[in-house]
Amino acid sequence: MIDNSTPFRVKKALGVSMMSLLLFFAALPTLWVLILSFREQSAMFEPIWESPLALTLDNVINLTRSDFPHALMNSFITAGCATALAMIVGVPAGFALAKSRLSGKFYASWMLLMLRMAPPVGFVIPLFLLYVSGGLIDTYFGLIAAYMTLTLPLIVWSMWNSFAQVPDELIEAAIMDGASLPKAFLLVALPAARPGAVAAAILGFLIVWNDFFYALIITRSSTATAPVAVMNFISYDSVDWGSIAVASIALTLPILPLMMIANRYIVQSLSGAVKG
Amino acid sequence: MISKTPPQFRATAELERAYRAMLLPAVFAVGLFAIIPLAGMFALSFSDYHLIRGAKWEFDFDNFIRLFSDRRLANSVYVMSVLSFFGVLSQVLMGTAIAVGLSKIVGKWRAGRVLFLLPYAVPHVAVALIWLSLFTPTLSPINAFFDLFGVTVPSFLTTQNGALFAIIMADTWTNFPFTMLIMMAALQGISPDLDEAAALDGATRVKAFFYITLPLLVPALLMVTLFRFIDSLKHFPMIFVMTKGGPGRSSQATNYYAYIQTFQNSNVAYGAAIAVSLFIVAALISFYVARLNQRITST
Repeated sequence: MIDNSTPFRVKKALGVSMMSLLLFFAALPTLWVLILSFREQSAMFEPIWESPLALTLDNVINLTRSDFPHALMNSFITAGCATALAMIVGVPAGFALAKSRLSGKFYASWMLLMLRMAPPVGFVIPLFLLYVSGGLIDTYFGLIAAYMTLTLPLIVWSMWNSFAQVPDELIEAAIMDGASLPKAFLLVALPAARPGAVAAAILGFLIVWNDFFYALIITRSSTATAPVAVMNFISYDSVDWGSIAVASIALTLPILPLMMIANRYIVQSLSGAVKG
Repeated sequence: MISKTPPQFRATAELERAYRAMLLPAVFAVGLFAIIPLAGMFALSFSDYHLIRGAKWEFDFDNFIRLFSDRRLANSVYVMSVLSFFGVLSQVLMGTAIAVGLSKIVGKWRAGRVLFLLPYAVPHVAVALIWLSLFTPTLSPINAFFDLFGVTVPSFLTTQNGALFAIIMADTWTNFPFTMLIMMAALQGISPDLDEAAALDGATRVKAFFYITLPLLVPALLMVTLFRFIDSLKHFPMIFVMTKGGPGRSSQATNYYAYIQTFQNSNVAYGAAIAVSLFIVAALISFYVARLNQRITST
């Protein structure tokens, strides 16, 4: 047992080795995918220490020649549009929910949470049938519309939280001064809640960027997003590990800066709710 | 005519109307994009629609009765429970341990926490592919390393427990940073005076952690566990990429099973019934979370 009689440096050594072990677990897959992406095809299945210098840019070049860049573009388009549309509709709604005296707000919050937690398969089955009969399979319009089911509840919910932190007095004062409600919203409330709005947009973008399931069902080759297109490197008889590794990095790099901005907000929104 | 409504009140009523106008587009959009598909899911779950055979459009409870005698569904619930329980448990334990560890680190080493955040940024398909490569014996550096000592690492993805273990590893790797972030924030909210007071009273640091810090972390732990648990019910990319539900059906979680029934077996109506059951679970949990949230924000 570790108690007061255990010397301090023993405890410290224990803590340091524990943290190192956890760091190893966290870092190994990242290092591994970096190694794989620059490894020569012929050396792929050799232990890394037998041919550490079998490095090449072939995997990167192969990837740029495949249809993966097009799929990345599709990801940008769908995530961007689904987020922008949901912001236009969702930000005013979040404001109204936070500041109005509407009854039934509890049910609104329940419904928003429910939509966020609902299994995607439930949305996808009816959408798929609808899209097949309406010719919307493998169209940008269909995909973006489907992604609204993900982005809209998320954005309304987080804007509701952000606007709730804007003091009521600020808006009341603007209205006393003769501003209409839309004006008070645009000129007073929205600037005050801007960090929250940026974060909501980022979270909306990320949730679409990361999605695999919707795109798997309702896209074919022309609007396939990057998470679906990466599966093309796996065929029945072989797996192109080099391309998969580069594609994994290409999937992560564009959202890395967004993630670093958003993680501060993830904490604020959740821990804000926890602390009250 | 002179209105009897006081001007103050009239202004409020006008304001409320303006608020409602701002809400309207979102109500319309949610109705169009979310409620219509959900209504479709409920309708399909009572129908007899089959992707190839079509439907006679007879609505009854047959699909829901079938749920209770479906052993593959029972298996999928077992798989889902194992994945959720061990996945969430390991994420919460690991995230909390790292948060506590990082809180003790001062100076330039603090920047190291970015390394712990990185896995959270990797999209789930990429996570699944990376871990698939680590669990592919001919490719994996782990297997190669143990081969040096003549130890053959078993092929995880070919046994049930191994496959579940592999999915839990991948899931833990990408999601522990979420727990870590929340627990770091919760730890920062605890006054260091409390620890000092405990030390003055003669408590050991271990005791101080378990009797003072940990109880204060309970609300954050509860919230994090709930959020992770809800997400864990939606397992899909990792199963799809790493195991395809296999070997056999041994890693088919319920969400994945609904997909198989709908899109591989063409049993759309039955798949919808499974989805409805999952939806009801999600609705109950979200009711609890909404209540929790209401209680927290109203105090």
